Amino acid sequence: MQQRRELDQVYTNRKLLNGQLDTPKWWLPTVSILGVVVLIGVIVIATMINKGLGLTGLARPVYWGLFITTFVFWVGISHAGIMISAILRLTQAEWRRPVTRAAELLTVFSLLTALVFPLIHAGRPWRIAYWIMPYDVARGIYPNIRSPLIMDPVAISTYLTGSTLFLYIALIPDLGNLRDRTTGWKNAMYTVLALGWRGNPRQWKMQTVGGILLSALMLPIFVSVHSIVSWDFAIASAVEGWHSTIFAPYFVIGAVHSGVSAVVTMMALMRWLWKWDDFIRPEHFDALARLLIVVATGWLAFTFLELTFALYGQDAPEIALREMQMFQWPWNALFIVFFLTGYAIPVPMWCFKRVRTNIALMFWTSILVNVGMWLERFLIIVPGLARRTPFVYTWEAYTPSPVEWTIFIWSFAWVTFLMLLFSKFFPLVPLFEQKESQVFTDDVMIGRAKVPAIVREAD
Amino acid sequence: MTTAEFGTHNWGMVVDVDKCIGCNACVIACQAENNIPINTQDRVERARSISWIRVERYWEGDFPDAKARFIPIMCQHCANAPCEPVCPVYATYHNAEGLNVQVYNRCVGTRYCANGCPYIVRFFNYWEPVWPESLRNHLNPDVTVRSRGIMEKCSFCVHRIRRESRSARSAGTEIADGAIQTACSSACPTSALNFGNFNDPNSKVSKMKEDKRHFTLLDQFGTDPNVIYLAKIDADKKVGAGEAATHG
Amino acid sequence: MASQAVAHDSEHHAPPPNVDADVVSRELVATTQSASGRFKAWVWGLGILSVAGIVALVLKFIDQGDDSTRWGYVAAMVSFLLSVAGGAPMVAMAPVMAKANWVRPITRIASLFSFAGVATLIMLIPLVAILPPLVTEGARRRTVWYMAPDYSPHFWTTLSLVLLIGTGIMLFYSAALPDFASMRDHSTGWRQRLGKRLARGWVGTDVQWRTLRMRIGMFGTFYFLILVFVNFLISTDFGQSMVPGWRDAIFPMYHTVSGFQAGVAAVVIALYFSRKYMKLEKYIHLDAFWSLGRLLFALTLLWIYFFYSSFIVFWYGRSMNDIATLDLLIKGPMIYAFFAGMILLWFVPWWILIWNKVRRGTAAMVVGSFIILIGLLIDRIRTFVPAWSVPGDQIHEKWLKVIPETVWPDIFDILIMAGGISLVAFIVMMMTRVIPVLSVWQVQEFNLLAKPIRYMKGHATLVAKPD
Repeated sequence: MQQRRELDQVYTNRKLLNGQLDTPKWWLPTVSILGVVVLIGVIVIATMINKGLGLTGLARPVYWGLFITTFVFWVGISHAGIMISAILRLTQAEWRRPVTRAAELLTVFSLLTALVFPLIHAGRPWRIAYWIMPYDVARGIYPNIRSPLIMDPVAISTYLTGSTLFLYIALIPDLGNLRDRTTGWKNAMYTVLALGWRGNPRQWKMQTVGGILLSALMLPIFVSVHSIVSWDFAIASAVEGWHSTIFAPYFVIGAVHSGVSAVVTMMALMRWLWKWDDFIRPEHFDALARLLIVVATGWLAFTFLELTFALYGQDAPEIALREMQMFQWPWNALFIVFFLTGYAIPVPMWCFKRVRTNIALMFWTSILVNVGMWLERFLIIVPGLARRTPFVYTWEAYTPSPVEWTIFIWSFAWVTFLMLLFSKFFPLVPLFEQKESQVFTDDVMIGRAKVPAIVREAD
Repeated sequence: MTTAEFGTHNWGMVVDVDKCIGCNACVIACQAENNIPINTQDRVERARSISWIRVERYWEGDFPDAKARFIPIMCQHCANAPCEPVCPVYATYHNAEGLNVQVYNRCVGTRYCANGCPYIVRFFNYWEPVWPESLRNHLNPDVTVRSRGIMEKCSFCVHRIRRESRSARSAGTEIADGAIQTACSSACPTSALNFGNFNDPNSKVSKMKEDKRHFTLLDQFGTDPNVIYLAKIDADKKVGAGEAATHG
Repeated sequence: MASQAVAHDSEHHAPPPNVDADVVSRELVATTQSASGRFKAWVWGLGILSVAGIVALVLKFIDQGDDSTRWGYVAAMVSFLLSVAGGAPMVAMAPVMAKANWVRPITRIASLFSFAGVATLIMLIPLVAILPPLVTEGARRRTVWYMAPDYSPHFWTTLSLVLLIGTGIMLFYSAALPDFASMRDHSTGWRQRLGKRLARGWVGTDVQWRTLRMRIGMFGTFYFLILVFVNFLISTDFGQSMVPGWRDAIFPMYHTVSGFQAGVAAVVIALYFSRKYMKLEKYIHLDAFWSLGRLLFALTLLWIYFFYSSFIVFWYGRSMNDIATLDLLIKGPMIYAFFAGMILLWFVPWWILIWNKVRRGTAAMVVGSFIILIGLLIDRIRTFVPAWSVPGDQIHEKWLKVIPETVWPDIFDILIMAGGISLVAFIVMMMTRVIPVLSVWQVQEFNLLAKPIRYMKGHATLVAKPD
């Protein structure tokens, strides 16, 4: 339960703006190291575009490999933002407040990263304009809107635009705050970005209404993005492991599982790095972990249904595929790790309050979940394609090449890099949400017990 | 009744598995005709070789009564092709003559089509194609050399179809049955591969198609291929090569 | 959805009156005793219809017990009743776990539907007898029972349904203990004796309250799990596995979600009538309807999402399985039912519920709920009737080669459907004579926890959230 703690506004401002108003000691070295990794990644990507996809480990029949897995993974992570911000805002969950900004940021940056993968994985990336935009209209050829690969960029770019707006709207009051505390070019920057924020009732009303409207509008997009990504796979009737009607909700709930876990990881890091113990408190981890137990169990039910109905048809190719996925080296090892890290280790641990409120344990278990969720996507995509078809011609497996691994690592460095860069200029915990929650909580006496209470506005 | 007008044909192939002796002449002919890069050892080992037509070999029965079976497999030019709707840029589509055509210029190389194809007859160019210096002048001028990053597959030797229909049109005649032969069918020593027009009920392939041995590959996917197979005749057993193929 | 929104600005909506606890008990207990003439007439009518339905079920079994293709409507009815009577108690459970306050006046009426599960069970009995065996002509048909013995679908479905009803009743009972005590203290006659016996010495000590909450949590969780499982079994064994080549992994979830939708709709209807005819406006506030409206809206969207997820995969997949499945369930014998279901389950409720003004009137909500229930019945007919109409000789095909004709309901089916629905209404109505339709202690608890306050220039509620 929400433990009430009195924090005055001066303290809140000083503490939460410590990233912008003064630079922590670790910041510059960390960003430099990450910058080097990012640079290496960019060089590798450029080399790959220059030389060709022969540098990857892809081979017939596994035409999609590590890149698409990582694409799905990052799209999945991006579901954290809207899950935490929009859904919890609409359902008025009080504990969401300190987490919203970080979650939205994760959405924006992971989407930006996810977008890179399908593009660099195309055979001729310099032609992607042709894919995404109907520039060739003079010849009467539009992109093929029947293709899920057209709906993908549409959904993702809508989601990206929406979440950027969402992030920005929630940022405006804090930008006003920063404007009043900075000088020089930074002041000029914040002045422009704050859009004349004065904090009068009308502005607050518009900011709130904007947030709620965007939340409601973003929800369908939130669901559609990962559904469409899943249909990339599910519609292929010739790939036994992919052609399942459950894929859309299965992917969405899996994405929420991994996204919320990523938020937990981020919260732990924020608490440690910026020493925000007063703001990101064990009860927030507790609430997120409870949410995760429900989400993870729902996800497990979907996994169970997916497997059941894979075998239900009792078709030889399908059974052979599942046997390979679960019992043949090296997929069996991956499958065990996937199951242990995705569900069997973290969820039973979260059932104990001692674990839920232990930040270090939450940090590690949430990382485990994401290891598992990445493997889940890998185990769907790669063995699905590497299945033994009736044609012996194509019984080959797939090993990712060092180039692919480098780009995979680059994506993590890139997201962290963007995040740290952002933290230099903008607060990671929304100040106004923090203060609002202070105002909206109170204690009431019921009998002899002092009980925390929440103020509810008129509907 | 074959006219040279575009869109009046439905090109297809009938493969008599009973006649196939697994000599691979079709594979070589196709390789030479269609400017396919040489499948070096490295490429074959890495499963990146390209061959628009291949002859698959199966063993039927247990040793010592094992029998070798052959079945040539090329793009099936499905009327209901899984590769077509998934291409975001219309690089692969169905034309009015029953061909599943690949437009190299449009292809951006998402490889989605290859994932959707149950016959695994679509190939990706991982590298820029190279030929030894001695072979540079052997390239077929009628066929595009595919650059890296795009998909390719059997075209039913569309350049031959075009050449023949052009000359028929300019001469004002009809395309005679059998006038157009793909590289593989003209190379086949046993006439296992037969190319022709399914729209003409009197063509050789239309008649062959009526044979009771006919089957199509992987019919559970409902792809409706334009390549029809005629099953192996086996004196001892009733099982045809077709069943061996579809059931792996 | 777990909104505690309590508004005071609206003129319809007075702040929760701080009624004295004693008055609450007295008034609510009194509702069980006074039955109007109209109420009695309805109960008689529904009772007669239920009996007719059961008689028709028996006659149909005697008449057509050997022809499984005629039993689609009964299967649809089982699925429909499972959705309504099984889904409704979930409405009571889910928000309690999320600590929502608006749900307090709803819990009792929702959990009364557990008793109506008996109607599902009655309908299931002949179906279990008729369900084709797993192995026919020496081959096993496609089911989820890969290696299991032959009786598995018959036995486990029945058992789990009985378990569901049992757990539902236990859930009801564990939350009703304090109210039986109220009846013991405030009622007379057989009700007092019943209260005395069932209250099991409830006096409201700390230990008793703690046990009560623990039991609600435990039975609630169990109920949810069993409900999902029963939905899974009924939808696969009595639907999907009857059709060769119908392989739809999301169908059990679709079935479950539309079950919740029906459950919420049924609760809205029951709530509306008890509020109106038992004069409970003082206790059943509008915010309960609004929150149920939001829940219903969310479930409606979820329904269309799940439907579309499966439809689009078949539509794009275009393999022989996919085409046959679409032909059977959507394009073929049930095309009109499909469109009707689409309109009634999704399109109309969508337009009703998205509109705040409409959603906030109880009349529109109850109309919307009726539409949803009708839509669901049609949707169940759309899926189960064609599934059962597949003759046994096709069951071992890889996919359906011949799409069967539309099966129209005969006189038995119509009587059975009318009777089944009446039986549910009958049972719920009878139960309101036995126990107050609102949970007395939950209403009292909310009075303790919520405190209307003035906040800045407006009104607000201070809601205490104990652990």
